[in-house]
Amino acid sequence: MLPAKHTLPLIRQSTRIVGLRFISSKDITPSENFPTDTPVLSKRPNANALDYTFTTLDKIKNWARKSSFWPMTFGLACCAIEMMHVSAPRYDQDRLGIIFRASPRQSDIMIVAGTLTNKMAPALRQVYDQMPYPRWVISMGSCANGGGYYHYSYSVVRGCDRVIPVDVYVPGCPPTSEALMYGIFQLQKKMMDTNIHRMWYRSY
Amino acid sequence: MSSSLARTVRNFWRNGIKRSLIQIATINDTKSGDLVGIDDFGNKFYETKNEEEIHLRTRWVEYSNFWRPDISQVEPGWHYWLGYGTDIPPNQLQPNLKSIKAYPEPPRHMDNLTFTDGAYIPYNTARPKTQTWQPKVAERV
Repeated sequence: MLPAKHTLPLIRQSTRIVGLRFISSKDITPSENFPTDTPVLSKRPNANALDYTFTTLDKIKNWARKSSFWPMTFGLACCAIEMMHVSAPRYDQDRLGIIFRASPRQSDIMIVAGTLTNKMAPALRQVYDQMPYPRWVISMGSCANGGGYYHYSYSVVRGCDRVIPVDVYVPGCPPTSEALMYGIFQLQKKMMDTNIHRMWYRSY
Repeated sequence: MSSSLARTVRNFWRNGIKRSLIQIATINDTKSGDLVGIDDFGNKFYETKNEEEIHLRTRWVEYSNFWRPDISQVEPGWHYWLGYGTDIPPNQLQPNLKSIKAYPEPPRHMDNLTFTDGAYIPYNTARPKTQTWQPKVAERV
């Protein structure tokens, strides 16, 4: 049981949120050892052999995934020009193991490059649904991030994250090829941070 | 000629086995050149004058952080030099060439903390325009 001083005020009972400002934040903040004050599962250090085993399995799997980074090209507008520059000799994506695939069935990542119009949105969603798991999405450019220049247009989706879940947003109008490559590197870091097997083991 | 066996063997001989393996793991190539400078993060910047090296691949950085390198760990002046914006590296700038900032410079260059515990989390300061609906059960007559 909690001691009396940890009893939190019932926020739902207050009719207006503004009225909460009369309560000092130190009354809301639990001061001492709270019963739930334990590290979350993902932050717990490796303790035994199974922990190390599952962590290593995760790392091997993640390394394989981030090293064969096969994006589905979804070039919609001028951002696609910069995306093509990444595959051209100057930035040379092949040295990073990045190969553009024309089929969603064979790709892991979708790079949404350009303005997503209302007419294209069902096609985008269908191509995303055709991609096998695991799949990631990079939203490239202002238009794909939030509508950008065409935010108030009658025919443009205000951000491709209204249709599909997005992992990395690359800002810019259009982003440079270096910016897209930096977004790719950020997504590779995100891939390396996933620890599905370890979390599956620890949840038991 | 960029990637010949003789070049790789020569770079292994110049750099040593450990550093060459680190280079292969990080930049997929072996490179040898002159150390130009080290920034606050401990990243080492190199340049080679070898004519046989590929155009615009003669300057590179070897990160101090092996497991999680990031270009945002490179200071802006060094980043400008790496991208061939200038031929004068920032540690050889004369005082009359340095730009005077109108704002106080931070003591340490901040790197990108996305996907770490220090990541920026946006928050909303505007008053909500909508209210949640609180259902009340009416008494049956």
